[in-house]
Amino acid sequence: MDEFAPLDCLLPSGKQRICLVILNQPIDERYFHVLWSKAKIRACADGGANHLYRLTEGRRESFLPDYINGDFDSILPEVKAFYTQKNCKLMETPDQDLTDFTKCLAIMVEEIKTQKLQIDTIVTLGGLGGRFDQIMATLETLFHAQKMTDLPVVVIQDRSFAVLLQEGRQHHLNVNTGLEGKWCSLVPVGSPCLTTTSGLKWNLDNQVLAFGQLVSTSNTYEDNDPKGGRKPVTVTTDKPLLWSMGIKPL
Amino acid sequence: MDEFAPLDCLLPSAKIRACADGGANHLYRLTEGRRESFLPDYINGDFDSILPEVKAFYTQKNCKLMETPDQDLTDFTKCLAIMVEEIKTQKLQIDTIVTLGGLGGRFDQIMATLETLFHAQKMTDLPVVVIQDRSFAVLLQEGRQHHLNVNTGLEGKWCSLVPVGSPCLTTTSGLKWNLDNQVLAFGQLVSTSNTYEDNDPKGGRKPVTVTTDKPLLWSMGIKPL
Repeated sequence: MDEFAPLDCLLPSGKQRICLVILNQPIDERYFHVLWSKAKIRACADGGANHLYRLTEGRRESFLPDYINGDFDSILPEVKAFYTQKNCKLMETPDQDLTDFTKCLAIMVEEIKTQKLQIDTIVTLGGLGGRFDQIMATLETLFHAQKMTDLPVVVIQDRSFAVLLQEGRQHHLNVNTGLEGKWCSLVPVGSPCLTTTSGLKWNLDNQVLAFGQLVSTSNTYEDNDPKGGRKPVTVTTDKPLLWSMGIKPL
Repeated sequence: MDEFAPLDCLLPSAKIRACADGGANHLYRLTEGRRESFLPDYINGDFDSILPEVKAFYTQKNCKLMETPDQDLTDFTKCLAIMVEEIKTQKLQIDTIVTLGGLGGRFDQIMATLETLFHAQKMTDLPVVVIQDRSFAVLLQEGRQHHLNVNTGLEGKWCSLVPVGSPCLTTTSGLKWNLDNQVLAFGQLVSTSNTYEDNDPKGGRKPVTVTTDKPLLWSMGIKPL
């Protein structure tokens, strides 16, 4: 991957071609409109449809998802009935070992292929708040996603952004969109990561990030010439490593 | 450890009460009108979150304000260190350190909470538990069988075992989906949306038992109080 600008998807003028997944968490309206208008495919995982329904009251017909999947234990009957009646694809993906989010992504990857779309990023709204085990399940889905697709799958909720960086190559993160908040973080979820970075205030130089040893939170970007803009943050890791960052209030 | 009842702590009476930095703001706001009845024993932190009026109020009420400047440790970790020291100094018999907050908000701070739980295991043998909204979390130590009493009546529907820092060879009983010497690991198998095994309603639930070879994060839902 060449340079990847994590927050490009939130820029109206952003270059990335995206697909959108809505999870069962309150939707930030400011992000929603930018993402919805740019997304080539838009989907809700189960209760995500409730939040879409509520948010778009008064103009729901203009915000119909391409599909809603799930075991349907969260979607409200009136919401399900509405979207069914509007001919959105309702795809029951019953309880197994996979979460609604994982299954939503699987369908998304399939649809992108079937429709022969050129997509750069799959953007997820929700997943980083609420029930604690569901936050952990979101992270697990990001691991599974790496086996499902080469596309980055990013997660946004409130003012936090997260993406799982693959092992084995140098990532270049463009943090010059103007939407970057103050903080950033590298967290070795799942296993220790031998890590090297540049562009951060506190860089890592072939060091092991590991829970109980060293985890990078409340990090930030290195000082830079305000006119020049920030240099990309580079990250190399030998295991999947979770990058997260704050988003400026839009 | 004999049996540990995770939600037992939701019954009153803390022996020491502390705020980590901005925690004092939330305490101040919540206790408006009767603040003198809710004075923390100490407030620590780099004080970049606590509001000036809040800091001034608690200082004036003689709460210990302990500036623990920015280093590599979070305010939470430092608060725990002080807590462990205070428990020793005051020779208190304590079973659990309970934390309010830490499982929501800024995402890196949620991760920092988990990191603190790892550090806590080196600082004290006491369980350090974290509660926010209707989620509860505790890091289970490796190397012994944990018995979790889940009969307080406050248990919600879900529970979960998450191998946060490394794969965990795990065995459980008492869950709907148990593990039998299986590896929990991100990208392989993580137990979320688990629940308790069916039981005779009169008999109450059998304890959940968990054995792990690496620290393993137990979390569970709390019924609406």
